[in-house]
Amino acid sequence: MIKIRLVLFTMLFSVAYLGAQNKQLLYDFYEIPQSLLINPGVKTPYKWHAGIPAISGIAVQAGTSGITVNDLFANDGIDFTDKVRDKVVNGLSQRDEFGGSLQLDILNIGFRNANRPEDYYSFGVYGELSVTQYWPKDLAILAFEGNANNLNRRFSLSHLTTFGEGLSVFHFGINRKVSDKLRLGARGKIYSSIFEAKSKSNSGYFVTTQGQNNLLRNTLVADVQLQTSGLNEIVENEDSNESIGSLLARRALLGGNLGLGFDVGFTYQLNEKTSITGSLLDVGFINHTKDVKNFTLEGTASNEGIEIILPESFEDLNSDIWENLIDDIEAQVPFETNSDSYITLRPIKLNASIRYNFGEQKQKTEDCYCGINVVENNSPFDYKNAVGGHLFIINKPKGPQAALTAFYQTRIGNALALKATYTADKFTFTNIGLGLNFQAGPVNFYILGDNLLGYRNIPDSNYASLQFGFNIISWNSN
Amino acid sequence: MKKVLSYFFLFLLVSCAEEQNFDQFDDLSVVPTLATGIFYFESPEDVINQLPPGSFYNQTFTFEAFNEAFVSERVLDGAITYQLENTTSKELNLLVEFLDAMDNVLDSESFRMQPQPSPLFEREVAYGNGDRSLDILRNTIRIRVTSENLGDNTSESSANEPRVILRSSAVFRVRLQ
Repeated sequence: MIKIRLVLFTMLFSVAYLGAQNKQLLYDFYEIPQSLLINPGVKTPYKWHAGIPAISGIAVQAGTSGITVNDLFANDGIDFTDKVRDKVVNGLSQRDEFGGSLQLDILNIGFRNANRPEDYYSFGVYGELSVTQYWPKDLAILAFEGNANNLNRRFSLSHLTTFGEGLSVFHFGINRKVSDKLRLGARGKIYSSIFEAKSKSNSGYFVTTQGQNNLLRNTLVADVQLQTSGLNEIVENEDSNESIGSLLARRALLGGNLGLGFDVGFTYQLNEKTSITGSLLDVGFINHTKDVKNFTLEGTASNEGIEIILPESFEDLNSDIWENLIDDIEAQVPFETNSDSYITLRPIKLNASIRYNFGEQKQKTEDCYCGINVVENNSPFDYKNAVGGHLFIINKPKGPQAALTAFYQTRIGNALALKATYTADKFTFTNIGLGLNFQAGPVNFYILGDNLLGYRNIPDSNYASLQFGFNIISWNSN
Repeated sequence: MKKVLSYFFLFLLVSCAEEQNFDQFDDLSVVPTLATGIFYFESPEDVINQLPPGSFYNQTFTFEAFNEAFVSERVLDGAITYQLENTTSKELNLLVEFLDAMDNVLDSESFRMQPQPSPLFEREVAYGNGDRSLDILRNTIRIRVTSENLGDNTSESSANEPRVILRSSAVFRVRLQ
């Protein structure tokens, strides 16, 4: 039973996994309240908003760099082993990755301060799953080819880099219109980690060389670590009185390993039609102290097999020289576990954009309290069309990763807004995305799809993402 | 507006996928070739001279490298290479025997070496693929090394640091997938 649970858990984890967490379609798409989550300083043309619980924001991303499913599994008659050798083992580099994320907006509410209408407050809870697995190139070559034909080649252990986590985030943000030109925002966050596993900054190598005495010498120099929290109790849950569901729920509700963080952002109006924005997200940390289990492999060992050198070995006639050899290696490169607490910094994300509005704008009117038809009578939006660029940078285990986006945004009538993007990043240079925001009275629905060209042949796509959600919005004049 | 919505959902939902064949994974063949030293034996001539002619070293030691499940269940074929060097003044015989759990001799290699000057000698013994049975290696859990001086125990070689050396290594192909 525990195995089945583990498999299901792993599947969920895997499916939820890939991606660079870039939300270029949602960024500055301020008709959608969830845009506050990626820039707390975005324009907020709402009196209040309430996300429909659990479906106000669902975002799934998946990406692979360097290879696609189609590259391997296309029914092309090419020998599968040849494809794996050419496109995976020899084709991918240690900087290629498989990754993804799932974000689920559980609660999202915002309201304008009646006494200080330039302030807009928002708060809520969202859950996030993400995994990044870098391709362990050298170890893959070692597994595929072996060491016999790779004498003197150092197989680097630094290629071992992986990260995965599940957490919930409780947040509260303030968005303030400081002046007609400047809007600032900040959001405080409490992280509650459900589980985490990470292995990075590893070093060392395995090499086979000509021996000093014997024909061959194998050498392992290792400084490798896998840090986990929250996984041990899940794996060994069978012996627990608490079900896995209850365990995960408890951890999600501030019962996990806790951390603190913040987001900041701004929107600055350069002139009537041009604005710039920026945000810095997830500046924070999680302190892992509960259910921590770390695995380490550290040391140096060289081995040429059993050595019998007379006359010294006459003393070993009654000892188990094989067992001694094994013990020596295990002592030189011990594989150990510990429960030392550790701190994980959140993957900081940076957004920046410039935007130019053009086209005839609808005439604004003063505030009204006209309920369901508020959009029809009073447009709080300051554009008809907009174009611009967006830069996204995320700090990943092997260094920063960037994505550059050009976008076009337009409003069609009062109810519909569309945004089209072209994005170039590590995963693809042909990422065209399309976002739609639809307002029916107070009900807001949005759906944002990425890398649409990939839908021509989904298995051949390096990247896909989809976000959608429902909100109830009462609009404010901006 | 309906048109716009229709096109959007059409784009997202009506997608294409080239035919994929995931059964190909069953055809994946991962067969690395692994290499390692097995054992090294060395005896200087003065040690041999300190003992009467005949057997001067006999040792049986555990050797479970081939018997490990990872190797025994996956090994396809392989070879053991022996390299011998004798710079002593004596004719020597080295015997390497592979033993099972009951100390039955599964296989053996005997090396008779002439006194110095004798050339570096190398022998490769193949297992699997019609050569010697892989079961020999799979069932080997001990190795016995016997060294025998077939000459006298007084003569001395003119070579610098005279000694007898037996080196050995194994190269095996194992199927991981």
